Amino acid sequence: MGIVIAVISGKGGVGKTTATANLGLGIAMNDKNCIVVDFDIGQRNLDMILGLENRVVYDLVQVMDGDAKLKQAIIKSKVNENLHFLAASQSKDKSVLESKKVEKLVAELRESYDYVILDSPAGIESGFEHTIEFADAAIVVVNPEVSSIRDADRAIGILDSKSQKVKNGEEVAKYLIINRISAEMVQSGEMLKSEDILNILNIKLVGKVPEDKGVVDASNQGKPVILDKKSEAGQAYTRIAGRLCGQKVDMKDIEISNVGLFKKITGMFR
Amino acid sequence: MKSKQYSVKVFETTITDEKQFIEFFDTNYALFKDHLILIKGTLSSDIGAYLKKKPLNFLHNQMIPVGRSRKALESELNIQKIESDVNQQIAQEEIKKLSTRLQNNLTVLDTIIRSGRELNIEGDLLLLNRVNSGATIHTTGNLIITQVVEGALRCDGNFMMITASPKANIIFHGVEVDNNLLADKLNRVELKKNEILITPVIKKEINWAL
Repeated sequence: MGIVIAVISGKGGVGKTTATANLGLGIAMNDKNCIVVDFDIGQRNLDMILGLENRVVYDLVQVMDGDAKLKQAIIKSKVNENLHFLAASQSKDKSVLESKKVEKLVAELRESYDYVILDSPAGIESGFEHTIEFADAAIVVVNPEVSSIRDADRAIGILDSKSQKVKNGEEVAKYLIINRISAEMVQSGEMLKSEDILNILNIKLVGKVPEDKGVVDASNQGKPVILDKKSEAGQAYTRIAGRLCGQKVDMKDIEISNVGLFKKITGMFR
Repeated sequence: MKSKQYSVKVFETTITDEKQFIEFFDTNYALFKDHLILIKGTLSSDIGAYLKKKPLNFLHNQMIPVGRSRKALESELNIQKIESDVNQQIAQEEIKKLSTRLQNNLTVLDTIIRSGRELNIEGDLLLLNRVNSGATIHTTGNLIITQVVEGALRCDGNFMMITASPKANIIFHGVEVDNNLLADKLNRVELKKNEILITPVIKKEINWAL
């Protein structure tokens, strides 16, 4: 029996899909059997970021409707054989999702994989609700800015009231990833500090990812940034994936890491 | 208390001729021995001694309540009852007013109030956690929040206790409270004589290291 993790954010464009792709690959690199599922029906992106765009034949909706078998629709990654992918439908919209069908699919995936990662659509509409409904845990991705935090706060509120696990009297585990942190801006006070974000959202931090120009290029090429050993964002995702696999990885304080010696000295005399 | 109620036959008279009086009472003693004799006007010591010797119960120049008809009694009783009912109602209303001022249906919560949540509380609320931006709390009673508020508060109670909350939107009895006035660590906002009064409960700590 595997664990089902929904990646949510509330606000769009904060890096949910990028995080899903990188964490999926990171978990697979830790020798765990992992599948990433794109739940953003009508606006699928995960296939491109994973570089599996041209291999999609059947999608999630066809599997749920019984038009295709699950085995036919699941795509194996070229990069890592432990990583699998199930694409969203690009032609339908979110209204095609039904609770019972989602539950059946999630149960089937849970049987055969160690980690099932669901990439939620942005917003808090039915698509989002179906994604979180049967998840055991949620990873909340935020950017250090007020709009992203408020939307994430709302998404967590809905998660806490609509999830099946909560309805059964259990608790959904919630983990926070703060994405696109710029150390300079945090230090100059232009960007929210991680402490403040944690105070507001009051959930467990699983990792911080620094702003990294390489991420866009990596996504465009279909090679998740985690494959680039030199990239700071890639290293951050490697650490988070390790934590999700139960390893003890120390938190690296990326908010002060890239201040040079010269700046430190000038800072002293300021 | 144990008590009994009697109706007493009273013979009221004024003495003009003492001889005639004594004669009258001698002949009618059998009738008057069960009566209370009420004498108006002067009463000589001879007559007093005679009445004591007989013996006859008597009173001299005293007011005695005179019985009224049943109807008159009933209507008076009715008025009394209505009056006492009204008094009781007033007392109850006073007690109710007092109790709403003190405490009323207290709700205690220790959950973070996240964005999008709308809490409507009938009565008082004691909240031990944050109110995040985009959340709304409305109470008909008093409101105490021990952590930072970034959402909206609507309070119609007698007082609020709020920590320094520069981002909050606070409306107390329909009047917006200026956040700059809530600068101390814990502030009390109350309505006194139709004026909103803000007093610090715990003062802001001054950090000398700065």
